[in-house]
Amino acid sequence: MSIISIKSATKRFPNGFEAIKGISTEIATGSFTVILGPSGAGKSTLLRLMNGLETTTSGSVHVTGETLSKSNLRKTRSRVGMVFQQFNLVERLSVVTNVLTGRLAHRSWLGSLFYLFRNEDIEIAQEALARVGLTDKAWSRADKLSGGQQQRVGIARALAQRPKVILADEPVASLDPVSSEEIMMLLREICDRDGITVVVNLHQVDLAKRFADRIIGMNSGRVVFDGTPAELSPLTLQTIYKRDEIENDTNLDLALSYA
Amino acid sequence: MKPKQTTPSTSTLPPKPRNLFPVWLAALLALLWLIVHDLEISFEALAYGLADMGEYFSRYRKPDFSELSRYLDLMKITLATALWGTVFALVVAVILAPLAARNLAPHPLAYRAAREILNFMRAMPDLLLALIFVAALGLGPLPGALALGVHTAGFLGKFFAESLERVGKGVYEGVTSTGANFPQIVMYAGWPSIQREALGYLLYIMDRNVRMASVLGLVGAGGIGLALHDTLRMFNYGQSAALILIILGSILIIDYASAWLRRRLS
Repeated sequence: MSIISIKSATKRFPNGFEAIKGISTEIATGSFTVILGPSGAGKSTLLRLMNGLETTTSGSVHVTGETLSKSNLRKTRSRVGMVFQQFNLVERLSVVTNVLTGRLAHRSWLGSLFYLFRNEDIEIAQEALARVGLTDKAWSRADKLSGGQQQRVGIARALAQRPKVILADEPVASLDPVSSEEIMMLLREICDRDGITVVVNLHQVDLAKRFADRIIGMNSGRVVFDGTPAELSPLTLQTIYKRDEIENDTNLDLALSYA
Repeated sequence: MKPKQTTPSTSTLPPKPRNLFPVWLAALLALLWLIVHDLEISFEALAYGLADMGEYFSRYRKPDFSELSRYLDLMKITLATALWGTVFALVVAVILAPLAARNLAPHPLAYRAAREILNFMRAMPDLLLALIFVAALGLGPLPGALALGVHTAGFLGKFFAESLERVGKGVYEGVTSTGANFPQIVMYAGWPSIQREALGYLLYIMDRNVRMASVLGLVGAGGIGLALHDTLRMFNYGQSAALILIILGSILIIDYASAWLRRRLS
């Protein structure tokens, strides 16, 4: 069973740049997928297509059986949590309020105008905070936390949505190695224990190999590899990270020899 | 890949970019002189007039505070007018600003409409608005508050909208990605991110409205300005002086209070 399916999707931005050049893929329910690829390969765009932050130029995206369109955009987003590289928290709000924004889709705009939340929402937020181990920071302002902690708040916000899928766009790119490890472990655990499907964009080949069930390799808007971490050979890494205009890329060889 | 060879030339600087500042300065001075010439502004008359002005101002030497309690009551009305005007402006601005922020507006048409409404309100001078409202609603503080409210709603709305536009794209995206709708995005990503700036602008508008409310009385919009208007018309210099001093004092107090508050905020 696939929870997300993408059918011959392309995405061309208004400036003419074609970020996605025809991708068809399925994401299995409950799986942990990592999308690898060099900067500008279209990883972010592909991820953002999956919750309607971007819309396809042609082709279609289906999430939990529904075709993404303008009319079900917010409903789909409420089922798909998103975690960002820059955390994207509201810095002036407390940690718990940030987590509670994950419940907004389930509440009318009138009540949320006055920052009123139901007890069940507050319980869900508490649970999510406990899950990421930040219960004691609940009333701190979000910008007072360290990068790793802020990212955990981001994950708690996604968890508070009670999502079917969590998309993580370079979740560890702004973090130190230890925090990166913790965040990846947390995401993996969420996938294993709660059965939430996780799709992560990554730069780090080693993290991808260790945490993923499946790796999708992208290069300039196309899928160039799709398989298990074991199938990811040095040669396939070459095709993923290949740079267009350069034939004998010594820097690439050097970089990959450490991967 | 061949690295491009660049030989740094240390001997000569690239040609100096032309600086047109002296030309602009000369043009500005020429324009100013032309205006003085054209309007036949005479500095001699000003020199002669100074003596007369001195005599006129000397009539205000003895402020007459015999009706102080009445004056303070009037000042209270003026402050209330300013406060109501500011609250009115705040309500209108809070509703219109998110629509007038390019990155938030749900539809380009809503954006255009909100922008134009704010522009229109800002373009209407509050003195003119007060004249219109006094004609429509009669003398009193209500037309004054309305005039101040309409005019400063235009300013406050524009300030808020520009602040909302400066908030990082990611902050809005974070809340949008949870499935929140437009009012929720505004309430949870927009306002909290600009609350300090917004409070600063609000204090500035309050400050400005107190100053303006005193003047609005002159066109019949109640408060201490109306009293000043009457005493001036009756050549009652002593009482006029007292009223002017009370206005000055109040404005100074408000000014310091809002400066103190803004310092506390930052």
